[in-house]
This record gives sequence, structure tokens and C-alpha cells, in this order.
Amino acid sequence: MSQTVRTTALPAASREPVDDLDGGLTISPWGILDRLWHLFISMRTGLILILALAVLGLIGTLLVQAPAGLQSDPGAYATWLDSLRPKYGGWTGILNALGLFSIFTSIWFKGIVVLLTTSILACSANRAPYLWKQATRPRTNMSETFFAHAPLSASVTAPAEPDAALAELQAALRARHFRTITERDGDAIHLYADRFRWGPFGTVIAHLSLVFILIGALVGSSLGFRIPDFMAAIGTKVEVGNGTGLTLEARSFTDTYNTENGAPSDYASDIVLYRDGAQVAAQTIRVNQPMQYDGVTIYQSFYGPAAAMQVKDANGAVLFDEGVPLAWGSTDKNKRVGRFALPDQGLTVFVVGVASGEVDAQIKPGQMQLEVYREGSDGTPLATQIVSQGQPARIADLDFTFVRERQFTGLIVARDPGVPFVWGGALLLVLGVCLVFFFPNRRAWALIRRRPDGSAIEVGAIVRHDVGFESDFRNLVNEVKLALAGPSAS
Amino acid sequence: MSEYSFVAGILAVGLALICYAIAFASVRFARTRTAMAGARGGAGAAGGSVTTVTRGPSSLATYGTLIAWLALAFITASLTFRTIVVGHGPFANMYEFSIAFAWGVLAMYLYFEHRYHQRVLGLIALPIALAMLIYATTIPSTADPLVPALQNNLLLTVHVAVAIVAYGTFSVAFAAAVLYLIQPAGGRRGLPKPVLLDEISYRAVVIGFPFLTLVIVLGAVWADVAWGSYWSWDPKETASLVTWLIYGAYLHARVVRGWRGSRSAWLLIAGFGATLFTYFGNLFFGGLHSYSGLNDN
Ligand code: HEM
Repeated sequence: MSQTVRTTALPAASREPVDDLDGGLTISPWGILDRLWHLFISMRTGLILILALAVLGLIGTLLVQAPAGLQSDPGAYATWLDSLRPKYGGWTGILNALGLFSIFTSIWFKGIVVLLTTSILACSANRAPYLWKQATRPRTNMSETFFAHAPLSASVTAPAEPDAALAELQAALRARHFRTITERDGDAIHLYADRFRWGPFGTVIAHLSLVFILIGALVGSSLGFRIPDFMAAIGTKVEVGNGTGLTLEARSFTDTYNTENGAPSDYASDIVLYRDGAQVAAQTIRVNQPMQYDGVTIYQSFYGPAAAMQVKDANGAVLFDEGVPLAWGSTDKNKRVGRFALPDQGLTVFVVGVASGEVDAQIKPGQMQLEVYREGSDGTPLATQIVSQGQPARIADLDFTFVRERQFTGLIVARDPGVPFVWGGALLLVLGVCLVFFFPNRRAWALIRRRPDGSAIEVGAIVRHDVGFESDFRNLVNEVKLALAGPSAS
Repeated sequence: MSEYSFVAGILAVGLALICYAIAFASVRFARTRTAMAGARGGAGAAGGSVTTVTRGPSSLATYGTLIAWLALAFITASLTFRTIVVGHGPFANMYEFSIAFAWGVLAMYLYFEHRYHQRVLGLIALPIALAMLIYATTIPSTADPLVPALQNNLLLTVHVAVAIVAYGTFSVAFAAAVLYLIQPAGGRRGLPKPVLLDEISYRAVVIGFPFLTLVIVLGAVWADVAWGSYWSWDPKETASLVTWLIYGAYLHARVVRGWRGSRSAWLLIAGFGATLFTYFGNLFFGGLHSYSGLNDN
């Protein structure tokens, strides 16, 4: 191991005055790109990014996360934040300012995902040509040193001619589904053998699949919509909106309970979809049986009580005739509250009923309490009145009737055009990972040389991911040894 | 029936553990003694006495292996009976999960014992299995009917069954990582060589990682069918993603020279921590996965 250090004297003409700073940072666009490239293909960077993402995820499981959609409502968000103060004390504001209560939409999270994606793409682009070369034009001859240091290696001397030894070795390898390539170099024969040479592309597939999944998530969040609490009172048509042009009607809802312990065993809603007034689809949906129409998926999620309300004006014309889902619970949990609006009259009406299983001193069974507000008022109701089923009450020159109790079904209505990308990516991910680990690329080399009394065979192999290769390698070597020693064994 | 084989399983795991522990202790004791004798009386005799002393305890360890296989059989029987009785895969509440978890640990440990013959690993892997079984005895075993969201039998069964394999391999990787970390760099007598432990961990993760990937994908499919969204950052989902990222980092770390060895072993410890966190997580963070059967409301 000799080292030579070459020094070349600079020609006198090029000796310009140089100070120390010139040796420091040099800025050239290519230099910066080059550095960035090396930063992104560095596994250290990759590791740091993956672990940083893991840390954010961990924070996301440990800290309460704001419910989706809450941030668009500053008032509700502030209330929600206040409810955390007893738990996190003075940290609440700081954690909130850092975006840790909505970590998966925070700048940290998005930034790391973008960097990680860049890194994954760079790594794959960097690695793919090498893998391609390895699969299509592998190195077929290895030096002595390789055989001396290979993770799996063996030397065999046999009385057979080199060509006979080669034939035997090839036969043993082919029986194990290896492909073999030979190369002759004078008297020496180089043999290369590999199996599952496309296996390593599993890493490329796995890496790109992640990018696919992210594209799917991006498409979904930018072009799709999701209404997590779409409430439809039975018998009332509700517009789906979001550009779908669909109207939904829940014809019925049934909840079935287990007779032994009263746990719910089945929820089912009969759903009908209309477009331009014409029925376009109908299905009974259950918890694990959503309905799909035109890219919109409708899931059964929850249910609750509703009040069928009718409002007529002084002339007896019907202004409102719908079921009102009593969607919210009161703070003391013993009442249910629903709301509807009469926009032409500038009125908002709250319908308050007693939650099932509760009793209330004022609101008796078969009654609802109505609170009517003028829109934009300071929060004092125009009127508060308890009404009995079927008996009209006159408030603000309108007749309000609580027609009957009903149920509403709580649905999730969503359209996610990114889903095909996500499932495609997920499939590729599983495929890629399985390809890497369960179809491990096996590579072996042999060097066969003539000896006065026969031939000397060196065999060496690289092993990664692969539990079975080691014993298989030993078997192979023994097999060849036996076969070659066979008839002329001493 | 299920209960009987469950109890038999617990006893067998315990017994196997005792066998391994005694075998290990006596081998260590014998080694120390011969080492001391060797130091005093000349090296020649030492080799011979090791073989004579080891023979007894090593056959005790062989019994340990046998009993561990028996334990696996008992737990398998217990899970099978349970499946027949409740009419769906035994993966629907914490009691069933815990037994299945123990099954996974035991099965994967025995697989690796079969491959590598490093029974010292059992000293760490078996207590994990035992702890899971004992934990199972402390929680109600009643088989409540499934809540609607869980009534997708095939997906549920495959999702959890695949998870069990992943958890089992991660336990083995954890056991090897612990043994790696408690040794000085050159290794310690009586314990498997660090290089071998490093390899065992790696091989375990190589099996576990694809399985965990599948668990998460199947979970997403299921969530899409049942909750209308393939991913909703539910704490259990997030925790499994964190686990996946840690093992992903581990796999990549091994490509980088400087991370081999104890740094990657620490990643395995963290990964197993994350696995347990994912597993027990629903007990304290609620969310959509709160089907543990422990909250009776
Ligand atoms: C969470 C994100 C990632 C996942 C799920 C992933 C997945 C994988 C898998 C499964 C393997 C095969 C493991 C092995 O050979 O032991 C692999 C290998 C590899 N990954 Fe990643 N990877 C990710 C991120 C990255 C990043 C950020 C980089 C670049 C810094 C990177 C570079 C590589 C390289 C160079 C290999 C080895 C390829 C080979 O041996 O041919 N990966 N990756």
C-alpha cells in the first residue's frame, strides 16, 4: 500500500494575489445546485427528515389536535383553545402559535414533507441508473481480493478440468433459477450469476409510490370536499352542494340494537339522490356499505332526533315544511338543539327538545321549545315559546307548527378525486417493499483457474435482506464439491 | 376450552422462560468458573470442562424450546377455539389482541430461534409474550358483539393478523437490540456476538416492515370503507405511521456506515417503544379506534 502524493507547481503567470477569503465560500449557481443535490441524496439528510416527521407525528398523537374545519371559525376556535387552558396552562398560547394543535396542516409538517419528497426523488434519480446498469450490464469479473473478503465465500479445488467445473457450477446455479454469464480471460473463467435482478427496483417503486400517495392527498385536498356531519332529517331533501348539483333525501333510518347488551348492531339509511329534480340513485347504506354516485360517496355515520316543523304565513301559505335535525347537545347535555332559517322573513329559529331518556320540568314529552331570533340581533330572542305537537303557535305573524318527532341520519358526504392515486400508490408501496425484501437480489461470482491437478474454484457472494441465501450458498458449494469430486474422488 | 388452553399457554411460556433462565445462568456460572480455573490452572483443561459442564444445562434449554413450542400450540388452540365460539377472527377486543400479540411474539421468536439458535433472545422475547398474556388475564374476556364499524370481518381479520406478525418480528428485533446494547463493543462471553445480533435485528425488520406497510394500507382501506376517509390523523393511525417511519429510518440507517451498530440498535428500541405505544395507545388517546372493549359506556 504505497501512496503517492503529486504536487504540481503553479505556473508563475497564474500566481495572482490570493487572500484567505478566496478559499472560503464560492458562489456559483452550479456550485449551489451541486451542493443541494448532494444534500438531498445524502442518507443523513434523509434520515433526519424521516425522523423529524416521526417526531411531528408523535407530537400529533400526544397533543390534542383541533377538529378539522374548526380553524375557519375564529370564535369557535378561540372557545376550543380556552377549553385547553386548564390542561396546558401558559403553554397553550405558545403551542398554538407554533401550530402544534393542528400539526398536520402546520408549516413544519408541510415543509418536512416537501423536503422529504425532494430527497426521495433525488435519491431515486441518483440510484436508478446504477440499479439499471447492475441489472443489465453487471460486472462479471471480480478480483482475488473480492473473493477473499466477500460476505459469503468458498474455495474448492477439484480434479476436474475448468470447463467441467464451470458446467457443474452453472448447472447447480441454474437449478436454483440463477442466470449465469461467463467471461474468459486467458485460462481463467469468470462466472457471474444472479437471481431476481429486478428486485432492487422495489426501492425505486417504493420511493415513487410515496410520491404518488402524496399527489393523491394533494389532489384530494384541493379538488375534493368532505362534509363530516351532513344531517338529513327523514323525509326532507337536502342539497349536497359543492358543485355536485345533487340533492339528497333520507327516506328512512333504522337502528338495530343487540338484545343482550343494548350495543348498536346496525345502522341503515335509505338514501335517494336527485339531480335536476329527477331521481338518479337510491340505496340502503350501512356503516360499512357506503353509496357511490358520480364520484360522490355517502357514508352512514351517526344519527339523532329531528323535529318536523311547518311554518305558514298569515295567509296560510306554507313557508317552511321540513325536518329539522336536533344536531347539537346543550351544555348540560339533557337537551337537543336544532336550527333553521327563514331568510325571506329575516328570522332564525332554534328548536329545543329534550334528549332521549331525559325529563325536563318545562318541555314535556310531545313538546318543543322554539326560540325565534331576528337575524343580526344582539342575541335576545324575539320570542321563546313551548309548543305542543300539532298545535300552531303564532310568533311574529307566522304560524309555527311542531308536526311530529322524527329522526335524522348523520352522513359523511365526500368526493375525493385523489383516491385512485392513493390506492395506486399504496399498491405500489406494498409491491415495492415486498419486491425488495421477499425477492432479494442474489448475486454470486466465481473464478475458475486451471491447476496442474485440475482446477481451483473461488466462489463469492454478496448477501442483503436475505435469510435463505447463506444456507443455499453452502448447499450449492457442497453440491458442486461433491459432483466434481464424484467419480475421481480420492 | 379457549380458557383452558390459554392458561396452559401462560404456564408453558412461564416454564419455558424458567428453563432458558436456568440454562443461561448455569452456563454463565460454569463459564466464569472455568475461566477462573483456567486462569489459575492452565488453559489446557478449560476447553474440556466447558463441554462437560454445558451439556446438562443446554439440554434444559432444549426442554425450554420444546415447552415454548408447546406454549405456541396452546395459544394457537386457544385462539382457534375462541374463533369458533365468537364466530369471527379473535381480533376484536383488547383481550383477544393481547393473546394474539403474545402468539406473534412467540411464533416469531421460535422462527428466529430455529434459524439462528440464539436462545438467549428468549430471555427477552418470552417475558414480552408472558407480559401480554398476563395482561390479558387482567381484562374482561367477554366477547361482545361487534360495533357496526368493526363488522367487516375479512378486512379486520387480515389487518390485525398481519399486524401480529409485524409486532412479533419487532419484538425479536428489540430483544436482539437490547442484547446488542448491553454488551461492550467487542462482545461479552455467554452472549451472542454483536454482529450476529445486528443481523438478527435486521432480518427481523426485513420481515416486519413489509407487514407493517400492509397493516397501514389495509387500515387505510378499512377506514375509507367505514369512516369515509382513508386517513384522518386518528391517533392510532398516526402512531402506526410513526412506528413505520422509525423502522424505515432504521432500514436506511443501515445503509449509512456510521449508523450501524448501536445507533441503529437505539432506533430499534425506539421502534419497539412506538409499537407498544401504538398498541396500548387506544387506552388513553381515544379516537376512532377506541374499540378496546374496556370502556363500558
Ligand atoms: C419515508 C420515506 C422512505 C421510504 C418508505 C423508503 C423506502 C425504502 C425501502 C423499503 C428501501 C429498501 C431498504 C433496504 O434496502 O434495506 C429503501 C432503500 C433506499 N432508500 Fe429509501 N425510503 C424512504 C426515504 C428515502 C430517502 C429520503 C432517501 C434519500 C436520502 C432514500 C434513499 C434510499 C436508498 C439510497 C436506498 C438503498 C437503495 C438500494 O439499496 O438500492 N430513501 N428505501
